[in-house]
Amino acid sequence: MARRLEDIQRVIPKIGLEVHVELATRSKMFTRVGNPACPEFEDSEPNTLIDPVVLALPGALPVPNRAAVEMSVRVGLALGCQIATLTKWDRKSYFYPDLPKAYQISQYDLPVCGDGAIDIPVHDPKSDEVRTKRVGIIRAHLEEDAGKLLHEWPGGGRIDFSIVDLNRAGTPLLEIVTAPDFDNADDVVAFAQALRNLCRALGVTEGVMQKGHMRFEPNINATLELPGGHTVVTPIVEIKNLNSFRALRASIEHELREQPQRWVEDGREMGPGAKTTRGWDDQREVTLLQREKEDAHDYRYFPDPDLLPVEVDRAWVESIRSAMPELPHERAARYRRDYGLAWKETAALTEEPGVGELLDEAIQSCIERDIERDRGARLGANLVLQCLFRLANERSVAPGAMGIDAERLGGVIVLRASDRISANAAERLLEMLIEEPLTDPEVLAEREGLLQVRDDSALEAWVEEVLADPAMAASASDVRNGKTAAVGRLIGAVMQKSQGRADAARVREMLLERLHG
Amino acid sequence: MLPPTATITEIREAIASRSVRASAVVEGTLGRIAEHNPALNAVLEVFGDEAMALAADLDRRLRDSSEPMGPLAGVPILVKDNICLDRGKTTCGSRMLAGYSSPFSATAVQRLEEAGAIIVGKTNMDEFAMGSSGEHSYFGPTGNPYDTARVPGGSSSGSAAAIGARLTPVALGSDTGGSIRQPASYTGCVGLKPTYGRVSRWGLVAYASSLDQIGPITTTVSDAAIMLDVLAGFDPLDATSAEMEPVHAFVSVERPIEGLRLGVPREAGSQANDESVRTAFNRAMETFRSLGAEVVDFDLPTLDAAISTYYLVAMAEASSNLARFDGIRYGHRATLKEGEGLEALYARSRSEGFGAEVQRRIMLGCYALSSGYYDDYYLTALKARRRMKQDFDRAFGAGLDAIVMPTAPDAAFPIGEKSDDPLAMYLEDIYTVSANLAGLPAISLPMGTATTESGKHLPLGLQLIAPAFEEVRLLRIARMFERASSPIPLPAGFGL
Repeated sequence: MARRLEDIQRVIPKIGLEVHVELATRSKMFTRVGNPACPEFEDSEPNTLIDPVVLALPGALPVPNRAAVEMSVRVGLALGCQIATLTKWDRKSYFYPDLPKAYQISQYDLPVCGDGAIDIPVHDPKSDEVRTKRVGIIRAHLEEDAGKLLHEWPGGGRIDFSIVDLNRAGTPLLEIVTAPDFDNADDVVAFAQALRNLCRALGVTEGVMQKGHMRFEPNINATLELPGGHTVVTPIVEIKNLNSFRALRASIEHELREQPQRWVEDGREMGPGAKTTRGWDDQREVTLLQREKEDAHDYRYFPDPDLLPVEVDRAWVESIRSAMPELPHERAARYRRDYGLAWKETAALTEEPGVGELLDEAIQSCIERDIERDRGARLGANLVLQCLFRLANERSVAPGAMGIDAERLGGVIVLRASDRISANAAERLLEMLIEEPLTDPEVLAEREGLLQVRDDSALEAWVEEVLADPAMAASASDVRNGKTAAVGRLIGAVMQKSQGRADAARVREMLLERLHG
Repeated sequence: MLPPTATITEIREAIASRSVRASAVVEGTLGRIAEHNPALNAVLEVFGDEAMALAADLDRRLRDSSEPMGPLAGVPILVKDNICLDRGKTTCGSRMLAGYSSPFSATAVQRLEEAGAIIVGKTNMDEFAMGSSGEHSYFGPTGNPYDTARVPGGSSSGSAAAIGARLTPVALGSDTGGSIRQPASYTGCVGLKPTYGRVSRWGLVAYASSLDQIGPITTTVSDAAIMLDVLAGFDPLDATSAEMEPVHAFVSVERPIEGLRLGVPREAGSQANDESVRTAFNRAMETFRSLGAEVVDFDLPTLDAAISTYYLVAMAEASSNLARFDGIRYGHRATLKEGEGLEALYARSRSEGFGAEVQRRIMLGCYALSSGYYDDYYLTALKARRRMKQDFDRAFGAGLDAIVMPTAPDAAFPIGEKSDDPLAMYLEDIYTVSANLAGLPAISLPMGTATTESGKHLPLGLQLIAPAFEEVRLLRIARMFERASSPIPLPAGFGL
């Protein structure tokens, strides 16, 4: 039977995702030398983060890094995984110049985390609705990264040989494998973003995509519905090494467009050995065939005899579990539910580690000072989103790392909530707190004259002055004649006289009273 | 002046009492190596100037201060060339590493140096510790001091030959399937393989990681005990090293063994053994009985499967351990022809760098681990290994204090006799491999000699195996046997 594109009535995609997360431990997975995924070592010169273990010198032996195991357990718990009681290390063998031992230490059949599921929120930008997507986690295992093989000098320059940088060799990698639970690119990207936020919140990675801290490998195929109730299933395609959300989305969408077309051309269906590996060309936005058959490689997995199996202590796991923070997507859901914040706001507030914690603590300190929770939250969220993010951005630091603690932020919110400072003054106050993080906001506001003036006699004097000003006569008469909007110019003039300290609402009242009354 | 047969104990007492200078001891050793090594090819590299400087420094300290000396102060020692030393070469007897210098020293070597030992050189060996005869070295075969036309055993061939000829009182070897004990047996020495995990493997170039252990080859049991006291200990750089209390073997070995039960496996069958081995072994059992020990037969059914189990496990691990020798970062790299690429670089570097026996074991090991064969070969071997451990546990659990077997089924054979028959060579290890598979401590010590047609004496070894971490008991039984039996003749022609 001839295969025709127009016969395909429906395409039902099936997508699973593998994610590699470089763990930001101080030392590497199996030796003490510095790990480039840790901020302290990330700018190291090529081939300086090396030692006999990294170089696989004769006689060198691996010793597992407990911190990497602990980080994996944290991520596993966040993903609802079972934590293994017994986990072991296996060797995966292949020759390549960036793999010094010619085997990678990984976990074959007893991964540290298995069998989990996580509910992530997916936002529909058209309807602005948020739905929940459950993603099954098959496993998460620890392994070591390889080095980098370069075919030109770093920064460009042709060479007729290859060079290798082994700094990354031995960096701990957590490989997370989802069930094939996705049927569209949006959900995959939503999961990937939620996972990045979660990993950053747990402190296991900086999550800088350009630095390769997280790499994605989607597995994609589709069921094609044909006339007469017939279906065919296309072969699985694995796309390797994607390091941006954009590439993740675009490559999946590309594959889902291509697979029906490919089936029409070659008629290949899902079956043993039918899995192919493709790479993503970011410029041309197409996937390119890398390897025909996935089982062409025999990795000769076997238990690493240099390493003993690890018995994971239950009490240790429980102590990690009890110290787990609120996860970013949980916090965002709470903000939407309790404070009525919009998706965009909660997404921004929970993306950067530390921001949500700062805001929550600040809100708490407001409540302790008799500010209504929702009002404190609303004002706090605005201050963070509008001021703190801008100030952090200008200074190229994380919003949580500017030295403004929850107590001070809470102080600013209290001043704002009780109308003692204006919105502009709140912003200036935050900026000044960066320079003087130990000063009480109220003291600072008073010293800098930012507190609003609400004393009627002082306000009246400014109002009188403005109304007596011939330049304001036109506006005043406009208001008298019913063009109330013209009062804005008069308020502005009063504010200017008061150097921004006048309570604008009261000034408006007074002006209208005078001009209408 | 001390005789060349002086033991560690004698040397350190003489130096401590200032009756002999360390310089004189080291000078004597260097002289003996220079004079006799050409006949043996046991020593690959000598650190003459450095050893003399260290000895002179020690002598100065002995003269100027009364600070306590390490237990091995001034004792000259040779190190097998698969144990890393931060000077000279670490070749593993291979062309692959003929030019390789290690930037670090093995933990075992560091412990020896901290104890005051003076490393005088590195010894020849079967390439990457693969062999039971010392013939598989890129640097040529080693001769047996009792008959230089015969093999000294392997793979610690150079270490055993050097101690047999008393070039030094002690050498380090490594034992994966008998590589300390079998050559010790062939050269009339004492060879100790400690419990797996007792001595750090950091800096021991891996052959089969789950079996390898460093140990000493000495001329007496007490010297082996001193060495164990120094070598043993937890090392954070070796994840398989055991956290145990320090060992005090030397002060514990001079105790009678009356009432101990020694088991002889029925499967350590007599028909496979050379007649001289049978005779000497039976006489050894008489000696034990005369010491008040009970000698009983017992069943060790897995012994028959020991060789095939051992070679599967060892080759599988070796195929992976030796994959790092790829010509990229260090070691032999082939010169490529026009048009050849990465694949050729790997294949040619490894084909040129490794000898035939190493290549054979890598290929067999890869085969045993490959998909489709893993279950039948490697996994089956792991199961057999587990059963073997259970066999030993049962035997010790039923009241045996130690197990006794010959170390090897025969005496040293002529160089070349088994070169073309790898299977016959593998059978040399029949009695030694099970201690490695079960991780148990084992020792070989002289139990007599065979006599060749030309009237030469060839030493025969007695092997003892004890439960894990029971080296003190093992050494005590060995010491009592040594004390009760007459010493074997020294080799002729080495000025002894």
